Amino acid sequence: MSSLEEILTSAEKLLHPYALNFNRPEANRLDVYLARENLLPAVKAMVDARWGYLSTITGVDRPASAGEEGQPAEQGEIEVLYSFCAGAAIVTLRVRVPYTDAVLPSICPLIPSATLGERELMEMFGVKVEGTPDTSRLILADSWPEGVYPLRKSFVPAARFSGKAEGG
Amino acid sequence: MTFEQHGENRFIVPIGPQHPALKEPGHFEFVVDGEIVTGASVRLGYVHRGIEKGAEDRTWTQNLYLMERICGICSHIHATAFVQGVEKLAGVEAPPRARAIREIFAELERIHSHMLWLGVAAHEGGFDALFMYSWRDREVVMDMLEMLSGNRVHYSANLIGGVKYDVTPDMMDKIRDGLNYLEERLVHYLDVVNNDETFIGRTRGIGTMTREQAQLLGAVGPTARASNFAYDVRVDAPYAAYTEFPVEMVVAEEGDLHARFVVRILETMESIRVLRRIFDNMPESELVTRVPRRIPAGETISRVEAPRGELFYFISSGGGEKPERVKVRTPSLCNWGTVITLAVGHKLADMPMILAGIDPCFSCNDRLVMVKRNHHDPQLWTWADLRNYGIEYYR
Repeated sequence: MSSLEEILTSAEKLLHPYALNFNRPEANRLDVYLARENLLPAVKAMVDARWGYLSTITGVDRPASAGEEGQPAEQGEIEVLYSFCAGAAIVTLRVRVPYTDAVLPSICPLIPSATLGERELMEMFGVKVEGTPDTSRLILADSWPEGVYPLRKSFVPAARFSGKAEGG
Repeated sequence: MTFEQHGENRFIVPIGPQHPALKEPGHFEFVVDGEIVTGASVRLGYVHRGIEKGAEDRTWTQNLYLMERICGICSHIHATAFVQGVEKLAGVEAPPRARAIREIFAELERIHSHMLWLGVAAHEGGFDALFMYSWRDREVVMDMLEMLSGNRVHYSANLIGGVKYDVTPDMMDKIRDGLNYLEERLVHYLDVVNNDETFIGRTRGIGTMTREQAQLLGAVGPTARASNFAYDVRVDAPYAAYTEFPVEMVVAEEGDLHARFVVRILETMESIRVLRRIFDNMPESELVTRVPRRIPAGETISRVEAPRGELFYFISSGGGEKPERVKVRTPSLCNWGTVITLAVGHKLADMPMILAGIDPCFSCNDRLVMVKRNHHDPQLWTWADLRNYGIEYYR
């Protein structure tokens, strides 16, 4: 069996044509930053090379931060992480899309099991996944209002946990 | 046959949301042609409690207790995945004895979970004698967990930086006795599963998944290993004390329901073997190491092998007292895809067993409470209402 280092290097080689840049946050992890248009080719390269399996799709809200004085505020983005695992090695493809154009292509034609992850992404973060086979709700209740995405930082639950202990 | 070919004439059998297989809610729609299933879809979320959102509002320590409550069957493994991630971010490692105790709890949990599943799956197939025997025997391991922690469900053994409870030599002796009994019983169950004619009739060649399908559909855990898709986080990326006390991976070739029974029973026996090895070589050390209250900024991925397969935590810290994001991907979520695909071509009567065959855990997937601003509707409770109700109830 090849070593952890070799497995990660092989992924780096596969993804080199598509990556904006690479990062090694931990010994067993490789982060690959991609532009949206390179997501499908990068996933295809991983699938064609049979590099591990897609473990999960994670959405992360990166809300707008107030810009410097006189500068326009930076606009909010959703970062989407596609984590592939092979043994102990984890390769994460990272794509950022702005709130105003939160659209990503579906990877289901390449990896059918991504459908649940993509449905979760649509419901919880309001990312439109183009071409995903099933756009119906997976998790949220039927009565949940349209256009409210609970995992965005801007969503504040009605009754927030106070953190204070009271009573028994 | 596809949905389109059926056109207007397709007949849909809804199963659930109440108790489709296990006593938990999920909703399935099976498209049938006579007795044969030609299509399937799933709808989850009936017990979604918003835990990922809730995590962003709680301190690291509070979150440990929240994560334990994601699942009542594998509470320990959720807490383990979480604390190991937080420890990595904080740059500390739990002491050797604490790591061994984490493994002890994890393997006892696997034994109780697999025996629970054996009973449920047998029940779905109409073998209620096996259901009752396996649940009677499961009480032995539940008693062990209660002896170790005082609790049967939320053992709550983990702390960030170590464990709360020691396992004394006296306790180990008692557990050894229990394990001897369980091992004898498991040999018997393996014999039933392999040789009972009616049992084989309902399991062999049913819901067969090839290795390629398992990989493509993203199957994990025993469901994948029963299709000879050999990966187990305990072996591939050892955590806790799995480097010092390794487990052997159990795989099977057949990929059918029968193989899923065999793999889980053999895994339970393997858990017993490794527990004995830990007891014979228990490391001596402190139980907990100091961890700062604020966790340094950074991101980590923590993976562990839950009883149902790979459990994945993504944890992001902004350097404060609370996490910025906690993503939990449970093994059941991966295995749903296999059910929906494998259902096609089988008889409707096989569906409960195929569903139960992946050992689904709905609460694991579903993590949100319904929060409504309207206080007047007696059917809708806010989080604060629920808390007050709980406080009043126990006052």
